[in-house]
Amino acid sequence: MLEIKNLSIAYGKVQVIWDLSITVGSEAVGLFGPNGAGKTTLINCILGMIRPISGNIYFDGRDITGLETYQVVRLGIALVPQERELFPLMTVEENLKSGAAYIPHARNQLVDRMNFVFTIFPVLKERLSQKAGTMSGGEQRMLAVGRALMACPKLLILDEPSVGLQPSIVTEMFAKLKQIRMEGVSILLTEQNVKQGLKVIDRGYVIENGRIVIEDKSEKLAQEEHIKRAYLGV
Amino acid sequence: MKTLSIIAVLALAIILPFIADIYLIHVVSTIMIFMCLALSWDMMLRTGQLSFGTAGFFGLGAYAAIIAVDDFNVNPVMSIFVGAVFAALTSFGLGIAVLKLREMYFAITTLALTSVFTVLARNLSDLTGGAAGKILFNAIFDGDPKKTYWLILSFTIVVIVLSEIFERTRVKYAISSIRNDELVAKSSGINIFKYLLIVFVITSAIQGAAGAIYAQQYAFVEPDSTFSANFLLLPIAMALVGGIYSTIGPIVGALVLGFTSEYLKLLMPYGHLIIYGIIIVLTVIFLRKGVYGTIMEKIRSK
Repeated sequence: MLEIKNLSIAYGKVQVIWDLSITVGSEAVGLFGPNGAGKTTLINCILGMIRPISGNIYFDGRDITGLETYQVVRLGIALVPQERELFPLMTVEENLKSGAAYIPHARNQLVDRMNFVFTIFPVLKERLSQKAGTMSGGEQRMLAVGRALMACPKLLILDEPSVGLQPSIVTEMFAKLKQIRMEGVSILLTEQNVKQGLKVIDRGYVIENGRIVIEDKSEKLAQEEHIKRAYLGV
Repeated sequence: MKTLSIIAVLALAIILPFIADIYLIHVVSTIMIFMCLALSWDMMLRTGQLSFGTAGFFGLGAYAAIIAVDDFNVNPVMSIFVGAVFAALTSFGLGIAVLKLREMYFAITTLALTSVFTVLARNLSDLTGGAAGKILFNAIFDGDPKKTYWLILSFTIVVIVLSEIFERTRVKYAISSIRNDELVAKSSGINIFKYLLIVFVITSAIQGAAGAIYAQQYAFVEPDSTFSANFLLLPIAMALVGGIYSTIGPIVGALVLGFTSEYLKLLMPYGHLIIYGIIIVLTVIFLRKGVYGTIMEKIRSK
């Protein structure tokens, strides 16, 4: 579905991603790595916010390298950005609608999409007229995911979905992601909380200094010595 | 209730020339011109872009309309469309370059554009009449204040309807999400540049048309008074006093400040601008959400 080939990205003269290749099929894939490894940069590049210096990104067989962000989103990639993700002064309903309003194929099935989001996040249905900014952190994150789902994505990209949430909410959040995965939406997520992240994903990559150092199935990743020492603290 | 009061206000506005004297008709006409400028400035602000180009496009429209009548024998009413279209085309060309800028840089550039227009108007003497400007033989409708009033009223209604369309359709989510957070707007599939350009062109066309009407009303253009900072600062003050990010805010602001300034002028011919300035400062400090916003908040909290 998503195929990244030999991607290199630089900010000015500083190269941050080195000849990186990953694929995401019909599955959930994790990108792990410390701060500054290049995870967010990679995601911004997939969404067309940064231009790579070399390499290509393919989505459903189509070369999307260099497309504008809104064009990428209309092809079926939705993003839940890190931290800043909602329109706080708009209501829950408006936030959800704005997720579908500018994607032609999603707009035509607005009601269906809303119902789909409510089956996954029933709490949103009770809060429709509440201002998004007045909800708790966990609810806001769920709304952000719901908003992204309104766009009818084939691939949902989440940048650090657990950041800033209390542990019990993190567990709930990842359970929801698993449910979304079951509904047939592919997932690509970056995560520093490797322990929780491993429970959701089928396959994962570990990025360090802009290069992939490990790639494996999630159960095997949990056994890796490097990961145990550096990320799991066991 | 709401529909009724709108119909009542509209009816009053239409029959006003029959019940009011020429002085009042004239004051209301001027207030409505500024109301349109305030609304157009606010419509751009709703996208998060602070434009200081209001006076510039106002002046462009004014010059285009006067030149169209004087040199090309266009009907004065049609010349208003000429003014609007000329401002729209110019803003389209400039917008492609300028709308890549944000915040302070966008604001300063639009302010600079106004100066550029003024310099052009002063120096392209063959076309614009240079520093002396251009005077027509006759004002629009032979200077009939009632007909001019109805023309301005119809234009104002068009602008108010446009502003409401921006508030009630899909465009609203686009522009308010651009204002909230461009990253999120982009990743919701919004073509940010396209929407900014649409809003910039429409608001500039409104400013151009307002300038054209104003110029036809007085039948003259002159660089300094046509591109005067008044056509930038008063609309901004009106929108701020009334309440930004809405249609009613700038309308209320224009009425409040418009009538206050007229009354003050009669009360104290010298120094009325000081009181006027103090009113603006006080409202901005104590009524953060503007007159309309504050009243609505009080009603809701009760």
